[in-house]
Amino acid sequence: MSVDFLHPSEGAAIDGNVPALELRGIDKRFPGVVALENVDFTLEAGKIHALMGENGAGKSTLIKIMAGVYGKEAGTIRMRGREVDIKSPRDSLKEGIKVVFQEIALISEFTVAENIFLEGYPTGKMGSIDWKKIRADSAALFNRIGFNVDPAARTGSLPVSQQQMVEIARALAHEARVVVMDEPTSSLTPNEVSLLFTVIRRLAALGIAVVYVSHKLDEVFEIADTVTVLRDGRHISTKPIGEHTNDTLIQDMIGRRIDNLFPRQRGAAGSKIALSVEGLSTAKKLHDVSFEARAGEVLGFFGLMGAGRTELAKAIVGYDPITSGTIAVDGIRLAPHDTRTGVKLGIGLLTEDRKSEGLMGELPVYQNASLASLGAFARLGFVDKAREHRAVQDYVDRFRIKTPSLFQQVKNLSGGNQQKVLIARWLMRGLKVIVVDEPTRGIDVGAKSEIFALIDRLAGEGLAVIMMTSEMPELLGLADRIAVMCEGRLTVIMSREEATQEKILNAAIG
Amino acid sequence: MAIGPEWTEMSELTHASAPKRFIGGQLLGSSQLVLGVILAVLCIAISIAAPQFYSEANIIAILRQCALVLIVASGMTMLIITAEVDLSVGASLAFVGCIGMAVLNSTHSLALGMLAALAFAGGVGLFNGLVVTRLRVNSLIATIGTMMMLQGGVYLFTREAVQNHNQLASFTDLGAGYVGAVPVPVILAALIFVVAYVTLRFTTLGRYLYAVGANEKAVRLSGLRSERLKLFAFVVTGLCVGVAGMILSSLMNAGQPTAGRGFELTVIAAVILGGTSLLGGRGSLFGTLLGVLVLKVIDNGIIILGLNQDLQMVVPGVVIILATYLDIIRNRANVR
Repeated sequence: MSVDFLHPSEGAAIDGNVPALELRGIDKRFPGVVALENVDFTLEAGKIHALMGENGAGKSTLIKIMAGVYGKEAGTIRMRGREVDIKSPRDSLKEGIKVVFQEIALISEFTVAENIFLEGYPTGKMGSIDWKKIRADSAALFNRIGFNVDPAARTGSLPVSQQQMVEIARALAHEARVVVMDEPTSSLTPNEVSLLFTVIRRLAALGIAVVYVSHKLDEVFEIADTVTVLRDGRHISTKPIGEHTNDTLIQDMIGRRIDNLFPRQRGAAGSKIALSVEGLSTAKKLHDVSFEARAGEVLGFFGLMGAGRTELAKAIVGYDPITSGTIAVDGIRLAPHDTRTGVKLGIGLLTEDRKSEGLMGELPVYQNASLASLGAFARLGFVDKAREHRAVQDYVDRFRIKTPSLFQQVKNLSGGNQQKVLIARWLMRGLKVIVVDEPTRGIDVGAKSEIFALIDRLAGEGLAVIMMTSEMPELLGLADRIAVMCEGRLTVIMSREEATQEKILNAAIG
Repeated sequence: MAIGPEWTEMSELTHASAPKRFIGGQLLGSSQLVLGVILAVLCIAISIAAPQFYSEANIIAILRQCALVLIVASGMTMLIITAEVDLSVGASLAFVGCIGMAVLNSTHSLALGMLAALAFAGGVGLFNGLVVTRLRVNSLIATIGTMMMLQGGVYLFTREAVQNHNQLASFTDLGAGYVGAVPVPVILAALIFVVAYVTLRFTTLGRYLYAVGANEKAVRLSGLRSERLKLFAFVVTGLCVGVAGMILSSLMNAGQPTAGRGFELTVIAAVILGGTSLLGGRGSLFGTLLGVLVLKVIDNGIIILGLNQDLQMVVPGVVIILATYLDIIRNRANVR
């Protein structure tokens, strides 16, 4: 590593007309699939360029080509006008491109300073590593981005937001001209997001071209100078952010317009109490939570990070243990407190963490759908596969689940379609109460409205839907009543009519 | 690094070229295909070099060799599909033989000897299962512990081989007998294999075993008792060891505390070779059968070709790495 990184040419001192990075006519194929077709992507020094698109649009493939993880089949890459050949992540870094992936690639057992200088430790006499210099240089780097992380801290002990800062510092240490941030805010708190944005703007001010990959519209409007939208592996548009509105951006991303994100078809909720929870407490989070939910209603739970929504969801379906309180489905108590009893009584959880708690990724779609209801398709323990397949096919058709066949491994489906499979799992079982936790997390804009429609339909069919969400529009668009949580307590329940954003936020802050 | 979370990114595009493992599985998954080809090549190569390979006597010898491994591998396949493993089967095999033989000697009853062997081996499986599901000790570690306890424990039980004192004909037949031209152990192995095969392929229980291996939390959230499913697989593996242990002591005409060293590795190697994933949720008994055959044909080939017998450990080691690597290449071709 050269020593000169502390005094690079600040700002875009180079010829203003030459792009920092220019990708032209990029093609990338995977067997049987065109992932990118003739994509152009041009970055200007000192500008923040958002790269948007739904899952499958080709964003990840494009940045992986920039990072040298994938090779391209056709096209050229130019750094400041000079054609470069990027064959490996090492080449990419050498050319001054630093990609900060969503899954942070730092060695968690090493200190911050060690990680920053991983590719080449400064050495002193006798070839020994000059730790003093490493520490000092790290501190200097953090100084430049205006964010302080202790260079001696063990990296794994830091929150994700600070690990991102370490990655950014690494980029500076490598004199990166291009920094790519891949969905950087997906696990950050609002506070951390605004800090990150400050640092990103700082990078731009240093003359670095920043690529901001995201599908969150509000963030892009806040931070980006320019937006490029990809769809189905093709370049759709590149415009200054000022020329976009929410609607035009969504339209570019999904290729059609969404007229109504929250179509309400269901009638009013019934009067029958489907779920009653009384004085529920858990060892770690929940304190004395009580509420009732009626058949046919959507009861939305809102709360900030750490308010206890997921904990509540897992406790009321019997997954996590409780210390006191009762849960009753249709008047029958959930005892013993386990999921087996819960499912028997007719309460189930649509988890927020599909990959680790919902899907059996390696297994085919039909086995994922029928998991909770397999007994109903069996005689003397033998599965009647024909009947099972017919039942699953029925849901695939009704929910318009996009899958080439029932035998497709479910991990190959898009997030929205995976969610539909999991909803089908519960409907095939037949529930009275369904608890949905962040039902649209990781799901494309286009598929979101379909999930909303499905939730609406669940309530319409007489289920009580308990919806945990951190998304205000989702809450206001879907719920009949709104419950707000703060630090493990239920602070207020209000009807949709009396609810306003201010009231909800006030209750959430406590 | 190349195949990871970006998977979903590709998903909508990959539909057309999706891997067809679960349709193919009805006939032959392609990992089995690779293995089938390896087996065929081995058989042809060995028989060209040594024509006596295809003699009836040799084929029966190979099958008899396969029987012991296949019996335990049938249970082990179920267990590995649930994402657990049992390393104590070799040590248990020796212990079971000694106990079965001792009970047989004192009761003069094959049934009671058999029962004692099954009870002991099943008990070992139950113990392993409880340690793993209740105490939440990783199964690799738990069963290494059990293995050491059994290896030492068998010497507390007997310092030397337990000799066969009453020479019951029915007991001798267990290992050395024939029905027509087919050895009894081969018939027992075939029976156990078929039961396990049918269970895994056609029953709800089998489906739940795959499900637990694929995602235990999802199974629990669906109202199923994941711990019991794992416990079941541990006990079944134990019971298979019980049967195999009795056959082995019949073949050796004694209960040998030193028997079964390294047996667990052969069994697990056969299962892995057959394409069952150590991560759980994926695998098939048919693959295991092929895995057992490949390993034992190699063994046999080394003997009849008159090669150095120490190769009996070396060659399978090479084959396992090679076959697993071929599987990775195949998967990569499917993914990309």
